[in-house]
Amino acid sequence: MLNKLFNTTLLFSSLICVVLNAQTENLLTSISNEMEHFNEVATTTKQNEHYQPYIISVFEGKELEKLGILNLKEALTLVPGVDMATDNANTQTPIFRGSNPLASGQSKLFIDGILVNNVFFDAYSEYLSFPVEMIKRVEVVRGPGSKVDGINAYAGSINVITYAEDFKGFESNDKIVFKYGSYNYKMGGFIKTYKTDNLKIFIDFYYQKDDKKLPAGPDGLSQGVFGANNISLSKSGDAPLWLKEYSIGLNLTYKDFFLKARTLEHTQGSAYGINLALPQDSDRMKLPSQYLELGYNKKINNFKIDIKAGIKYDAFNSKSKLIPNDLNISGVIFQDGGYGEHFAAQRTIYQSSYLKYSGIAQHTITAGYRFIKEQTIDMSSKLSNRLTGDVALVDYTDTLAFFNKDAKRYTYIFSLQDEFQLSRTVSFIYGFNYEQTSYKDAGFEPKMSMVYQVDAQNIFKAIYSRSHRNSSWQEMFTMNNLARVGTTSLNPEKVDTIEFAYIKKISSDSYLQSNIFYLLNKDQIYNSSADPKYRNVVDTDIYGFEFEYKGYISSADQLYFNYSYTTGKSYIADENKNKSLPNIANHLLKGYYIYNLNTSLSLNGVAKYVGSKDRVSGDTREKVKDYLTIDSSLQYKNQKYNYTLSLSIKNMFDTKVTFPSPPNTYVQDYEQERRSFYIAFKKEF
Amino acid sequence: MIFATLVHSHNYDQLLLKAQASIFPKIVLLDKKLNEKLVDGKIIYTIAYEEEDYFTAQEIAKYMKINFKENFDKYNYKVNLIKFSNLSYDMNTTVIYALNSNENIQKVANIAKKKGIITFSYDINNLKNGLLFSLMLEKTTVLYLNKENLDNEKIDFIDSLLQMVNFID
Repeated sequence: MLNKLFNTTLLFSSLICVVLNAQTENLLTSISNEMEHFNEVATTTKQNEHYQPYIISVFEGKELEKLGILNLKEALTLVPGVDMATDNANTQTPIFRGSNPLASGQSKLFIDGILVNNVFFDAYSEYLSFPVEMIKRVEVVRGPGSKVDGINAYAGSINVITYAEDFKGFESNDKIVFKYGSYNYKMGGFIKTYKTDNLKIFIDFYYQKDDKKLPAGPDGLSQGVFGANNISLSKSGDAPLWLKEYSIGLNLTYKDFFLKARTLEHTQGSAYGINLALPQDSDRMKLPSQYLELGYNKKINNFKIDIKAGIKYDAFNSKSKLIPNDLNISGVIFQDGGYGEHFAAQRTIYQSSYLKYSGIAQHTITAGYRFIKEQTIDMSSKLSNRLTGDVALVDYTDTLAFFNKDAKRYTYIFSLQDEFQLSRTVSFIYGFNYEQTSYKDAGFEPKMSMVYQVDAQNIFKAIYSRSHRNSSWQEMFTMNNLARVGTTSLNPEKVDTIEFAYIKKISSDSYLQSNIFYLLNKDQIYNSSADPKYRNVVDTDIYGFEFEYKGYISSADQLYFNYSYTTGKSYIADENKNKSLPNIANHLLKGYYIYNLNTSLSLNGVAKYVGSKDRVSGDTREKVKDYLTIDSSLQYKNQKYNYTLSLSIKNMFDTKVTFPSPPNTYVQDYEQERRSFYIAFKKEF
Repeated sequence: MIFATLVHSHNYDQLLLKAQASIFPKIVLLDKKLNEKLVDGKIIYTIAYEEEDYFTAQEIAKYMKINFKENFDKYNYKVNLIKFSNLSYDMNTTVIYALNSNENIQKVANIAKKKGIITFSYDINNLKNGLLFSLMLEKTTVLYLNKENLDNEKIDFIDSLLQMVNFID
């Protein structure tokens, strides 16, 4: 009997132990799953950026709104080592660490992971006006960054994450936004999400316009771009830099499938004239951009599959007065001036497949390919009669095309990468891209990086990477043009990058980041008004350092600032000599300060200093002057009704800001916005 | 004068707050002596805050309510929001989760040590001042534990948890 009782007790105790152990196991599993979930969110949202093997700065959309930042362009000017440049078409381009200002494609822009650089210029200036209220986060990687997606970033990559991004527990609110300001700026937009268990539909929309005109001139005629006999026809005046655009974005997720689509209809004034003659107010350039991507993501045991296919359309569409009245070209007099309509539409089709395998202890291996086909699908070229000077347009599409209408390029990229976690404190990523194109190949490009986390507060990184930029359509296929002559014999621009970084995590919310970099650029593509043909003519060695701090002075505020120093030399093959880097600000100092007067009201300031810039070889003008701009904003957030009202004043001391004009074009540099005012209203639901 | 009456708050990383609010309550359940710490049969989860952080403390409590509903596993629980200045040796609580404070972390540590209360900290730096656990979003999510502060006969976590954490001396 006693034995039976003992056995029963033993069995019961064992059962309790089993149940308790099972409960503990479940709890530990649940904790592990939570940790993995937050790790995934932190990695995707770059919250753990400091532990990743690249140099990155992240700006939250809501923080940017607080600062009165209007759009993506203004956000990018806060990034360490990033300056802005423009050209006669006002194709504005962020310059990363002294990268080639003529090569727009040295940086890449991704919207929700989709590359949106246009094929024509390889630029993304049409997206720089993307309103900040549509942006959840901007992640800017300086240097080539990750190789996994097969896309070469060269000098830097910008990832704009919209509110389509969604994680359990971090859903975004629907909202409407209206803005009004200087230059008769008007903007309206909304964000809307519809969600069921398996389906999520996200839509964003905005419309914006302004009537911006800025003083410019004397224009390029003063420098003899149409011959000495036409110099007297040169004009000064207001350059049409107005904007009119709308965009609709759609993100649809169903189980493991997704669809991402956007149409952007961007129209802007003709700026400084594609032929360097000051255009009329109504002259315009359209840069539409549309994309559609379908994808499938699936995690199966130790495998993660990522398959995408997409189509992208972009175009260059200019309609403007190209030359002034009474211009005389080789005896042909254009009494009423000369007009032109140029149109080139490009289609890109791509498909990529990547497989990530984490079944080997301490290793995560990613392999895959990306195939891209870029093609011009439509082109037309109409000009006033070149033989008679008659103003009526003549179709020169077949006889004197401005562009090769059969332009086409195939690109194949294969990538392999291993992420090796040697220990809890040391990890390596190494791998390569191999790329072939239907023109000059970039070939094999390795990348290696190491992250050493000494402890929770101190992190070191070392990165080596080789990357390239393929020539843009403009550089390869432009023809019959005074300012630009393309050739398909160009080599890709190449860069070897070496970077070291140290990060001090002062607390969960404050850090110091410092890094040094050395960039060896080969075969940089340039042209000039004296020799408009694009050529691989410059090598540059660029080095410098960047320092970044984010933290606070008191519990009521937030302080961010960065300083970057960039220098180096360029070797110009034609002249067989070394020169200092032209058009590069050696010193950049930027920062912002947010003071929370209470939980509803904040007073904020943004300061940016851009140092002076040397001119290009042979340009005898004085250096481009340095400048300091100060912006200020006041934001009120009503917690009860969930609306926000912001007032901002930009360039409050009315500083003259100029971006360099190339020699023998506009005499004066391209002047930018002076003091301006904006008001924004946002309501979340 | 008007500004003197207004309050402002510390800066908090929303993702980190949510991660801690999701994971810390589950850690509590791994204490083998949890039953001795219950107050009226409930886990009392105290969030200690400075006056200016009341809104943040409220948000955490709301998030926990959505996340855990009424129970941490089989235990009923209650979230108490208490200003650092109101913490005392007389209080009855199972857990203290400390938000940021410039002056009161040592006070939390002293109370916790004497009474065998499990402590969590938003800021990892507070572990050096005597708090027990913190969590950081590093390359992976890392749970930190100050081993010295574990030396309390009223606290006894299961070994499997101790194998998961990173120790800070």
